[in-house]
Amino acid sequence: MTYSIIGRCPRTGRLGLGITTFSLAVGGRCEGLAANVGVCKTQAFPNRTNDPLGIKLMGQGYVPSRVMEMFAANDTEHDFRQIAIMDREGRIAAHTGSGTRGWSGHKIDADCVAFGNGLVGPQVLDGLIAGFTAKPDDALEYRLMRALEGGRDAGGQGDANSHRPERSAAIKVVDRLDYPDVDVRVDVHRTAVKELRRVLEEFKLYEEFYRERGRNPSKAIPQDVFVANLKKQRA
Amino acid sequence: MTFTLVARCPKTGQMGVGIATYSICVGLYCNGLRANVGATMSQAFVNQGNNTLGLRLLAEGFSPTHVLDELKANDPDFAYRQIAVIDRDGRAAAYSGAKTRGWSGHKIGDGYVSMGNVLAGPDVVDAIATGYEKYADEAFERRLLRAIEAGRDAGGQVGNDGHLTERSAGLFVYGNHDHAELDLRVDLHDKAIDELRRAFEEYDLYRGYYRDRGKNPREAIPQYEFVTRLANREAAQ
Repeated sequence: MTYSIIGRCPRTGRLGLGITTFSLAVGGRCEGLAANVGVCKTQAFPNRTNDPLGIKLMGQGYVPSRVMEMFAANDTEHDFRQIAIMDREGRIAAHTGSGTRGWSGHKIDADCVAFGNGLVGPQVLDGLIAGFTAKPDDALEYRLMRALEGGRDAGGQGDANSHRPERSAAIKVVDRLDYPDVDVRVDVHRTAVKELRRVLEEFKLYEEFYRERGRNPSKAIPQDVFVANLKKQRA
Repeated sequence: MTFTLVARCPKTGQMGVGIATYSICVGLYCNGLRANVGATMSQAFVNQGNNTLGLRLLAEGFSPTHVLDELKANDPDFAYRQIAVIDRDGRAAAYSGAKTRGWSGHKIGDGYVSMGNVLAGPDVVDAIATGYEKYADEAFERRLLRAIEAGRDAGGQVGNDGHLTERSAGLFVYGNHDHAELDLRVDLHDKAIDELRRAFEEYDLYRGYYRDRGKNPREAIPQYEFVTRLANREAAQ
């Protein structure tokens, strides 16, 4: 059980992934993002080799639909996987295997794919997409965050009799560099989506400071001074 | 301000990083591990390109010492960086730039580097190394965690106004695959190492289950059933 969204910012070309699940530390199993290449995420009963392979195939020029065919040919248990792939041009392929459990499905919308399994129903995908598309001019990380909140508020994971909490969550965004722009995580928590919002908001306060500190170290103020300044601004 | 152990497991060949710092979301910067290539970690005033370039140079066949030389030649602000580089043979090189802040230094051991800046003093780096070496019988990831716990217990980070808590931490291990074997993080917490220990012990209960579920989905029990079994086992103990 998991619900996720992969997306692309049409203005900047940034690519991203938002994910949350009952499983622990899901962000540690999201290596399928590469700047100027694409995004690939396999979930449900994930085959860990799919995502790095998908990135390599897209890097060679294969389109997402062909990558998906190659996944199917390469994996005897393809029916148990749920996979979404998007390349740098926004081309998309998605697959929800018949062996995935609970209510399971995917939905493609403008610049995004919402997909999940073990969900209370299709309204969760609608919630993800509504969150993602609500403020299209926002930075991609905020659109992904809002998507996860939309999925959660639409019921998230579970069935008619029970709700499964989000115990881990993550957002990753790549831009032009070969490391992520944004990479925030909650690995073990009772309300992971709520906690992820807290981490993201805090990270955004530091993001520019951290980036500039590395680029222009001779001009950087110490972090304890930066934190003291932040506290003053808050007060 | 950060303290770190970068190591190659002498038993398994796995590459790993254990790290903790006052900065938040430090895991964002821990992208310098690759199976059968090596490990690099760049900290202090981080040049994020160092890890990716360093890994590529290791993969080309350059030695860790030469990789550091190349990173230096490539970076006008090299004096602000603190970097460890280890290759798949366990050869290690490290650098603590003169302009990194506070007490800053590193220690190179057999297949590992312990390093940090804005620390209470050299005891912290020594304690990290000892913490790693002392538990040689434990699993590699547990040794990494022991190392940073020892760094914390030796005083950790000290800024202008005294002790600085660890606000983020992470454990990263790469084995034979081009995805992590372990990638566990605490991004924003008042006691990030304590929380990392808690998260690790919890996650460790699930790791085998998660791995097998993907490999043999037909035989996998639902996770809720797995959780119930875990709870029953704990209750029986």
